[in-house]
Amino acid sequence: MRILPFALATLLIGSVPVLAHDVPAAVAKSPPKGTFQQVSNLVKLPDFLPGMGQLFVDPATLPAGPFLAYDHDGKLVSTIYMIPVEDLNANKRFDDLAAPGGNVDHVDIYFNAGHPGVEKPHAHLVLWHVAKADEARVAK
Amino acid sequence: MTTRREILMGGGGILAAASLASLTVRADEPIEIRMQGRPDGSHVWFDPIGIRIMPGQTIRWINLDPGNSHTATAYHPTNFGRARRMPNGAKPWNSDYLLPDESFSITFKQPGVYDYYCVPHEHAGMVGRIVVGTAQAPGWMAAGTGDLPEQALRAFPSVEDIMQKGTIRHT
Repeated sequence: MRILPFALATLLIGSVPVLAHDVPAAVAKSPPKGTFQQVSNLVKLPDFLPGMGQLFVDPATLPAGPFLAYDHDGKLVSTIYMIPVEDLNANKRFDDLAAPGGNVDHVDIYFNAGHPGVEKPHAHLVLWHVAKADEARVAK
Repeated sequence: MTTRREILMGGGGILAAASLASLTVRADEPIEIRMQGRPDGSHVWFDPIGIRIMPGQTIRWINLDPGNSHTATAYHPTNFGRARRMPNGAKPWNSDYLLPDESFSITFKQPGVYDYYCVPHEHAGMVGRIVVGTAQAPGWMAAGTGDLPEQALRAFPSVEDIMQKGTIRHT
C-alpha cells in the first residue's frame, strides 16, 4: 500500500526538473549558443523589434530561420519562421526546420510586408514558448 | 538638386537636429513624408504617397515605424540598376536604410515627375510619387512600366490626381 504513494511521489518529483528545464540551456538565454547571430548585426534593423523582441538567426538558414526571439531580460519567448509568400507553391517545400526552443504554448501566423534580411512579403510563423499574457514582455 | 542626411537618434540626435534646424530655418519648411507601418509589419507605406511641390522645396522623409527600417530610393540606374522614373538629368538619391526616428532630406530643383520606393518593401507596394512644378509630360513614362513589381505599379497615384489635389494621403 505504501508503494503507490511512493511511486507517485517519485513521478511528481521527477517531473519537476523536466518542466524547469523545458527550454534547452543552449538557447534559453540571449545570446544563444552555436551559429546564431544577432539580426541587427546582420542587417540594419532596430536591436529590439516591438512585438517580436531581440532576434537571432543562423544566416545559413535564411530566409526561413528559425529566428530566436528574446525579451528585455534575455529570456527566450518565441521561435519564428519567415516563409516568403512566393515560395508557398507546389514546387517548394520547407522540411526539417530546426525547432530548438522547447515546448510551445501557442502559435501565431501572420503576413509581413518585408524587412531588411527578408525583403519579399512573407508569413511569420511564431511558436510562442510563453503564455499569451507574457507576450507583453516583447510588446515594446 | 542638393541632398542632406539627418540622423536623429537619441538625445544627442535631438540636440543635433535642433542646431541643424536653427541653421536651416527658411520660409519654406521641409515637407514631411512619413514612413509608417502596422505594428506587426503586415502593411507599410509612405504618407503622403503623392505630393506636388514647387522647384526649390525640400522633402524630408522620416521613419515613424518603430519596428522596421525603410529607405527612400529614386528609380534610377545608379540605384541597383533600376529603370529611370525621374527627369533626365536630375540627380538621383538613395537614403539608405533609416532606422526609427531617422530622417533624410532632398531639395528638388528640376521640374518633373519623380517616383521612388522603399528597398525592402517595393514588393509590398511601398512607393511614392512627387510632382515638382507644373504638369509636364514626363518622358520616362513613355518607356513603359519598367521592371517594377505589380504591387508597386498599382500603388502610384496618378499625376493628374496629384496635380488636382496637391497631396494624396495614404488610405
